[in-house]
This record gives sequence, C-alpha cells and structure tokens, in this order.
Amino acid sequence: MAEGDEAVSESFAVDVQGVHKKFGALKALDGATLQVRQGEIYGLLGPNGAGKTTLIRAIVGLLAPDSGTVTVLGRRMPNLDVLRGVGYMTQQAALYPGLSVEENVRFFAAINGVEDGVKEALDLVELWDRRRSVVSELSGGMRQRCSLACALVHKPKLLLLDEPTVGIDPQLRVQFWEDFRRMAAAGITLVVSSHVMDEAERCQRLGLIQYGRLLAEGTPSEIREKAGTQNLEQAFLNLAGAERS
Amino acid sequence: MSPRRVAAITKRLLQGFRRDRRTLALLFVAPVVILGLLGYLIRGSAEPNVGVANEDSGPLGAAVTSALEQSSLIHATPISASGGDARLKDGSLAAYIVLPADFTQQAQAGNIAPEVHLEGSQPSQDGPVLQALQQALISVVAQRPGAPHFQATISYLYGGPHLDTLDFFGAAAIGMIVFFLVFVITIVSFLNERSQGTLERLMASPLRRGEIVVGYMIGFTALALIQSIEVLAFCLLVLKVHNQGSVLLIFGIEALMAIVAVNLGIFLSMFARTEFQAVQFIPLAIVPQFLLSGILFPVSSEPKALQVLSDVLPLTYAVNAMRDVMLKGADLTWSSLQLDIGVVVLFCVLLIAAGTATLRRRIA
Repeated sequence: MAEGDEAVSESFAVDVQGVHKKFGALKALDGATLQVRQGEIYGLLGPNGAGKTTLIRAIVGLLAPDSGTVTVLGRRMPNLDVLRGVGYMTQQAALYPGLSVEENVRFFAAINGVEDGVKEALDLVELWDRRRSVVSELSGGMRQRCSLACALVHKPKLLLLDEPTVGIDPQLRVQFWEDFRRMAAAGITLVVSSHVMDEAERCQRLGLIQYGRLLAEGTPSEIREKAGTQNLEQAFLNLAGAERS
Repeated sequence: MSPRRVAAITKRLLQGFRRDRRTLALLFVAPVVILGLLGYLIRGSAEPNVGVANEDSGPLGAAVTSALEQSSLIHATPISASGGDARLKDGSLAAYIVLPADFTQQAQAGNIAPEVHLEGSQPSQDGPVLQALQQALISVVAQRPGAPHFQATISYLYGGPHLDTLDFFGAAAIGMIVFFLVFVITIVSFLNERSQGTLERLMASPLRRGEIVVGYMIGFTALALIQSIEVLAFCLLVLKVHNQGSVLLIFGIEALMAIVAVNLGIFLSMFARTEFQAVQFIPLAIVPQFLLSGILFPVSSEPKALQVLSDVLPLTYAVNAMRDVMLKGADLTWSSLQLDIGVVVLFCVLLIAAGTATLRRRIA
C-alpha cells in the first residue's frame, strides 16, 4: 500500500466509498458512501432491511464488496491486522451459552491476543458480580451487556455496534448510551446502528440509510435542516420519500 | 498461526463441555453401552432350538440323535415328527430334523437321507443347524467299520480357533465408535458456533481460519483420545477382545480417525443450517461409509463397482489398519499398514484444507 494512501484516510476511522453488494437479485448495498471521524459517535439509522448490518459487515471485512472500497483505521479492508483494533458487537448477543460470563469475555480477549482488561470490561457493563453466572441462565439484557463487554475487552479503537439497544429495557439503554459517550470521550470511535429514531439525537453525526445507500449524512441538526423539519423521524420519511420519487 | 489463539479456541471448547453433562455422557457412557451390548449379543447368544424326531428302526438314528444332542452349535431336543410344523410356527423351534424309519436301511445302501425342516425366515439360524447335522453325520458314519477316515489338518496364519465374531467386529468397532461420536459432536458444535453467531464474531477478530480449524481439531481430538482410552480398556480388559498388536499403535490410528471425523464434521457443517439438517448427514455421510468400510462385509467380497467406492472412503483404510494391528499383529514395518495409515493421513490433510476453505464462504 502506498504511503500517501494511508495519510489521506487517516483522519477518518472508517471510510466507505461507493460500496455495492448484491445477494442474488437483491441489491443489499447500492453505492453506500460514508465517513466516520476519529472519536465520534456515528449513528447509522434506517429501517429494517435498509442494509445496516450488511454495511457493518462490509466495514469489518466479513463481506467482500462487489465494487467500492472500505478503509478502516487507515487500512484497506479486508485486513486481519486491523481487526485487532476493532470491536464488533453483533445484532444477536453472540456468546457461548455454556460458558460463564467471565469465560466468555476472557475467550474474546484471548483471540485478540490480550490477557487483561477482563475486569475493566465487566465493571463497565456492571457484570463483575455476575462473572461466574453461566450465560444460558442470564436475562436478555445481561447477555447484551456481556456481549458488549466481549466487544470492547481488547480496548479497540473502533467499536461497531449492530443495534446494541434492541430488546433491552429503557433504563439499561440510557446506561448504554452513557457508556458510549464515555468511551467516545476516551478517544474510541463508535458506529452504532439503530432503527429507533430517538437514539439518533444522542449521536454526534448520523448517516441515514435506505435501499442500501446513504440518504443523508451530518449532525442531527444538519439533517433536520436539510429535510426542513424539526422531527428526525419526519426528516427520515421526507428524505426517503424524496429519494424514491 | 498463533499457538496462543489456537489454545484459546481449544480451551473454550473444553470449558463448554465441562458443564454439558449430556454430551459428556454421550462421549463416555455410549461407547460402553454399545460395545457391552455388542459383546453380550455375540458372546452370550443362545444356540438355536432344534427338534429331533428319530423314527429310525435301525441303530443309526439313535447315534445321530445323540451326536446332535452333544453339538455345541445347536440345542437339540427329541420331538415327534407330527408336532414339528406347529412348533416351527409358534417359534419354539428354529428347525426340526426327521430321521425316517428306513434311515439305517437307506444308509447301508449308501444313501443318507435325513429330512431338515427349517423355519427359514431367519437365515442366520440355518447355518448352525445344517453345520451341526453335517458334523453329527460325519462322526457317526466315520465310526462305522470300513468307512473312510476324514481328518483335515488345520493351521491358522493369524488368530486361531478361539477367534470369534466379537474379535473380528471389536477391532473395527473400537475405531468406528470414536469416529461416529466425534463426528456427531463436531458437526453439532460447529453448527452451534454458526447459529449462535459466535463464528461471525470469530471471523471479525484477528483469528485466522486455519487457527479455528486447528483449535477445534486439537480440542476434539483430545476428547476423542480420552474416549479411546476408555473404549480400549473396556474392549481389552472387560470384553477381552483379541489383540496381537501394540496398544500405542491402535491409539495412534484412533487419533487419526478422530482427526478425520472432526474435519469431516466441520466440512459438512457448512452444508447444514440447522441441527436437524446436521443429524440428517448421519445416514448420508456415515451409514454408507460404515457399510462400505468392510466392517460387516469384507471389501474384497463386494461387487466390483462398490469396491471402487470403498477404496476412496477413509474409513475403509482405518478399519483395515485396526484389524491388521489387532488381529494380525501388524506393526509399522508392514507395507499394508503403511499404506492404510498413509491414506488416512492424506484424508486428514484434504479435509482440513476443505474445512478451512469453506469457512469464509458460508459466513458471508
């Protein structure tokens, strides 16, 4: 890779340029372009089936785009070494049900080549006291928290969270967002996907996604301005409608 | 390939089994149940009940009857010829033999003509009945003055007269059980890894595909080896299955079979989406291999077309190797054993490559 190439994209934690991906006849990504700055909370918003998960999987290198480029932390994806600095929390709480909370977190630390940080991660999601509980016996919310701990135990620079707040109670959701803010303040870049519009206000910048491409990108107020409405939900509907017509 | 990351996969796998009592039971109780049953079935089986109706007016009939009663192949009891068919129907007899009134008379004219009535629906019982009758007739006829003397000299290249069906099946069953159970557990756990989404997470980590496959392989092979110790100890000490070879060599062949089973499981799990589908691979991938491996029917006696199929299946070579070692006392200097082990190793390599190659395809 050329030296200059890295320098250009270094300012962005994630740089996606014109990514297309087809599954059979379905255009899952249709020219998606987005840029996430270092240390910000970037909200990826869109209805179910808009391409959020596909986009995140393309960012993490699980999916090879048909065309277009994905650059993460200055490196073209797919790249295994970059993944050391990336944390990925899948939509479903992907954990080993037969293992305890601590064993799960320790495992994900180990495959990322880290040994410590387990207590720190479990403290952050307030599961240290339940570290010996077997995951299959945990409530859905606790699993989600454990899943988050697994994604951040190796202290990634970039955290990709695919609908982290689905299925958790409002109290925990507030707490999650506080955690996200704290992590962002510590210099971690977060990409959070959601289909809940009121979560959008908590992001520094937003990308509205529909039909596999971004309808708009900017701060919440920029997006409201562009759509000419005070309500983000309405803004989304306006922009999606404009796109279709 | 990082040993630490491979070790992490292996450790995680074994940690999971620690709390999974049912799977542990499958791994360590099932082999003893299966082999115990097999042993009891083969060694403890009762001889077929045979009725003997001696209507002979001469002395020969009585001599044949008493020879039949002494036979170890059947359990002979005297009956009357008229009730024979009814007893075949009600299942209390597998066969009855009638020695007609003119049996001695006919025999003197050179015509030995007993009647044998077989139940007939269970062919495996017919053999011993006919064999016992033949032996009885030969022994009786041989005692008569002027009769030709019949005495074959029998020598065994391997085994001996004490070798029984269990010795023959046992050697193959030891390997087969490990192969089968490891395959089932691998295909299901790898499928879980997919369906619970953890494989996606592993692929989004710095882990390499080969590290996942090797980590799995080490973990399951370790389990398989513990299982092998149990199976071998049970076969050799409790069932006293004939063994002429090195226990260490048997162990090595079992390890190879476990590696084949693990990688076959990983490979085939790519083609299943649910556990239900995975279980359906058993009749598809395992039963034909079992039938064609020579466990039940020697490969050399198979139809030519099937021999070709047997020749490309890994289990055939593994079963052959196990039998060579246990029944013939083969060691690594035997070229036939070198070939068998070489082929199994080749299959290991091929399946590892296939499993690794298909890993990414199905995750995307």
